[in-house]
Amino acid sequence: MKDRRLILAFSTLLALLDGCTTLEPWQRDVLARPEMSLDASPLDAGIDDHIYFSKEASSGGRGFGGGGCGCN
Amino acid sequence: MSDNDPSMAATLAAATCALLGAGNASAADDEGDRWSIDSALLYYGEADNRVQDISAAISATRDFDDERKLTLSLTVDTLTGASPSGAIALDRPQTFTSPSGNKTYVTAAGKIPLDDTFLDTRYAATASWTQPLARLYTFSAGLGFSTEYDYTHLGANFSLARDFNKRNTTLFAGVAWSQDDIDPVGGAPIPMSQMLDAGDQSHKLGSDSKTVLDLLVGITQVLGRNTVLRVNYSFSDASGYLNDPYKIVSVVDPLSGDTLLRSPPSGAGPTGVYLYESRPDSRLKHSVYAELKHSLGRPVLHVAYRFMTDDWGIDSHTADARLRWPIGAAYFVEPQLRYYTQNEADFYRSSLRADEPVPQYASADFRLGSFDAVTAGVKFGGTTSRGGEWSARLEYYMQSGDVPSDQIIGNQARREQYPDLNAVIVQFGYKFRM
Amino acid sequence: MALINRSLFIRIVLATWALHAASGVAAEPLDLSKHRGKVVLVDFWASWCEPCRHSFPWLNDMQARYGDRLVVIGVNVDRERADADRFLALVPAHFQVIYDPAGELAARYEVMGMPSSYVFDTSGRLVEKHVGFRKSQRAEREAQLQALLAPASGQSRPLK
Repeated sequence: MKDRRLILAFSTLLALLDGCTTLEPWQRDVLARPEMSLDASPLDAGIDDHIYFSKEASSGGRGFGGGGCGCN
Repeated sequence: MSDNDPSMAATLAAATCALLGAGNASAADDEGDRWSIDSALLYYGEADNRVQDISAAISATRDFDDERKLTLSLTVDTLTGASPSGAIALDRPQTFTSPSGNKTYVTAAGKIPLDDTFLDTRYAATASWTQPLARLYTFSAGLGFSTEYDYTHLGANFSLARDFNKRNTTLFAGVAWSQDDIDPVGGAPIPMSQMLDAGDQSHKLGSDSKTVLDLLVGITQVLGRNTVLRVNYSFSDASGYLNDPYKIVSVVDPLSGDTLLRSPPSGAGPTGVYLYESRPDSRLKHSVYAELKHSLGRPVLHVAYRFMTDDWGIDSHTADARLRWPIGAAYFVEPQLRYYTQNEADFYRSSLRADEPVPQYASADFRLGSFDAVTAGVKFGGTTSRGGEWSARLEYYMQSGDVPSDQIIGNQARREQYPDLNAVIVQFGYKFRM
Repeated sequence: MALINRSLFIRIVLATWALHAASGVAAEPLDLSKHRGKVVLVDFWASWCEPCRHSFPWLNDMQARYGDRLVVIGVNVDRERADADRFLALVPAHFQVIYDPAGELAARYEVMGMPSSYVFDTSGRLVEKHVGFRKSQRAEREAQLQALLAPASGQSRPLK
């Protein structure tokens, strides 16, 4: 039951994302800034993950890729 | 040809550059600065003489042509201190056998028992390779290894990302597998067996292992010029030895709630009845994680949320917010706030009643209990004139939990039941290119 | 790459003509007619585009090597001129640079990724389109340019 609700929530989110505005490739100036990268500071993220994994019952979830300057 | 002919000027410029060697400057910029090094030094310290950890991490990324890169990292950390063993506090001192089985340690009256102080150094190394497979496809593969005195981990991961919609949308799928070997000091105890006197190893077995498979699918979506969103779903399947070999559960009198007493024959052994914890040999977790970065001009806001649910009955929510605020051209300050909450595992038992049959699974480990945690911190950083970036962060982590009311028996109500945790985190970091 | 379809070509020609005709527009006009007889390479770049740091040395090389038969035009799409200037101070352009801060030229050329290159032959026809810059493609792209430059006399001028 819990699993089905999870799948429903996730699919709804995906459906919503489909109707988003498209940014042109030459308009990625802000997203290209290093602080706008979702994968900035992987070392910090790894340290945090390790601390919280040791003290809590949940862990991870991040993955990588996307955003940024979208070059090449 | 006129003086303004760009080709003539270009040729002259190129020739001059070649003569002066400055022409190599742009080539050098192109070929140089290929290594990016990130380093961090961390201190983690809990109040009340509990765990203290000092760790140093270094990561080096080498950029090759055409967006291929290699990342290597090494982390060393030294852990000392003690952690709540799962036994409850009593109005009298308690003696426990140490994990090695060679000696005993004593907990003062009224104190939540902490397991025997330990010292351990962990070494961890990872390597990963990323490269495009075609214009819109990125592939990554990685290996991980870590070792400490009672635990060895080996892992591998693969992932693929595909861009759509003028790279406004990225789909990502990854798989990670890990094989861990656990070789507890003194051997892994038989789950739900009793803690025996010093020197008696009859309830201890040798080493054991666990395997974890993680799957992750995600989507990163550009929502506008200033905003990017990522949503991931992940699934984790752990099987094998999932117990903590050092954690115990007190067996208590069903009326008074006090731990059953025993007298060790030679005086060297536990003063109460304690059973080693037992967890299922399988754990399935589902998580949904969403994060958003939004630029407010120069400041950048980052918010993230994660929901986790597993077949041990634990549900958790994590919410994190950071605001990176630039100061001048070279500095920034980033306050951070994180809130975490989880409920207890189905088999979480703060203590076991002597009049009930011993359950198949039971654990008093506070990490499987019901608690809220808040992290409040701030990070400062800046860029040096040579292009390096330094940072410093200070955080407080405060965890406070409670035992479900139907599990509190008799005298337990007037003692501290859940070992609240307060820790300080200090970290220095430096990043540079060479 | 194969020849681009005629409709895109016609649209680009009309758009650049229209841009040239409409004065007071932010983007500087890109008038290819004055380069008739030469091969033109139009390259869209930005200060925040990492691969552009690697493409500039190659573009400089091409401009220098085929000097009087090739015109390289860099179209900058930065919103702030200061950002473009900062980039050029670190990575100089030894070719013509024009500015398209509102992205109008980029939109008309239907730029699909940064950087993007458009190659026009000596009669002004769009013959090549490249999205992105990869070092592994340099030789191939230079060969494509050489094929278009073929009618000229003699060998290509060596750099040194």
